[in-house]
Amino acid sequence: MNDNELDRLLDLWEAPPPRRSLRDGLQARFPRSDRRGFASPLRWALAILLASVALAGAVAIAQSSDTLSDLPVVRTLNDLYQNFLEARQAGRAKSIVTRIAESEPQVFVDGRSVAPLEFGPAATMNVQIPGEGVYSITSYPVAERRTADGRPTGWVEAGHIHGKVIEFRAAGKQVRIECNKPIVDGDRPVFAIHRP
Amino acid sequence: MGEPPQQLIRDARRGKEEALLRLFDEHHLPLFRFAWRLTGSIADAEDIVQDCFVALLRPDCGFDPARTTVRTYLFGAVRNQWLKRLRRQEQRLAPEPMDHRTPETETLRNEVTRVVAGAIAELPATQREVLLLAHYEQLSLAAIAEIMQLEITAVKSRLQRARAALREILAAYAPERSGLYERQ
Repeated sequence: MNDNELDRLLDLWEAPPPRRSLRDGLQARFPRSDRRGFASPLRWALAILLASVALAGAVAIAQSSDTLSDLPVVRTLNDLYQNFLEARQAGRAKSIVTRIAESEPQVFVDGRSVAPLEFGPAATMNVQIPGEGVYSITSYPVAERRTADGRPTGWVEAGHIHGKVIEFRAAGKQVRIECNKPIVDGDRPVFAIHRP
Repeated sequence: MGEPPQQLIRDARRGKEEALLRLFDEHHLPLFRFAWRLTGSIADAEDIVQDCFVALLRPDCGFDPARTTVRTYLFGAVRNQWLKRLRRQEQRLAPEPMDHRTPETETLRNEVTRVVAGAIAELPATQREVLLLAHYEQLSLAAIAEIMQLEITAVKSRLQRARAALREILAAYAPERSGLYERQ
């Protein structure tokens, strides 16, 4: 038996693929830092102080004749709330990208298999559309921008994610990304932008 | 392109789970295959691979990027975990032929696969490790020497001895004699 024949025989002994539990088990064993409790007396004192300030603010607002939205405290609270909402949306978009990355996505343009999905920064993914270049997509709800005559100049809502499938239109072509497990419950919009 | 492994390890130690998962995604497949071929058990291989990644998070972990790559280090860690288990269980040989059976055990291919697995299992442990790393994981002799803490010449001779032994054991299954490939 020569070297080549021996190699061919050895190659018959194939290893099975690892189970999903390998990754899940590692995640379960990842040492997470404990959430900070609220036990310290100093923290309680701070919480009571903040509550008092909020109450005093509410009383002042009730007694004031100004428009609520003009008050600095209301504007600050509104900004904080908007930031919180944006962070939450970004977190969701990121987790969707993570789920897609773990689901062996396959990309089809007008029914034909094309280059695999590439993962970009800030919860974006890039799809190579033959003859058209690269389109970035995200599930983060980015604001659409259009010219006066309605032509898109930035991100546009181009399709949606439902179950295991992401579908959107780009350059007049139908793009379909199939994953091997569900990505979202229900339906979420997908936004796209051309990267020349 | 990506962050260097030492940065990912530092991030993971600071609590960034995604840093550890990036390392895992990049390296787990060859480590799992190696562990599975050493142990013959999917569950044991998974435990070993997980242990190795968790060990990377410990501050006393011996990985030194100046001395070795993270993959070579992890292969060495898999080997050490396996040896530790072997000593603990006092079991001589890992892969049991039964472990590699599939529902199609009647086919010649599966029979030969079992014979191959059995033949490799019969090799002395050090020859077996060298063969698994060289043939199945395509590691260089230098990398294997690093993992096993041997001289390159020792790795080379063990590999030659392993292959010579397998040639002898598997002589009856040479492809052209067994007709294995023609029947597929």
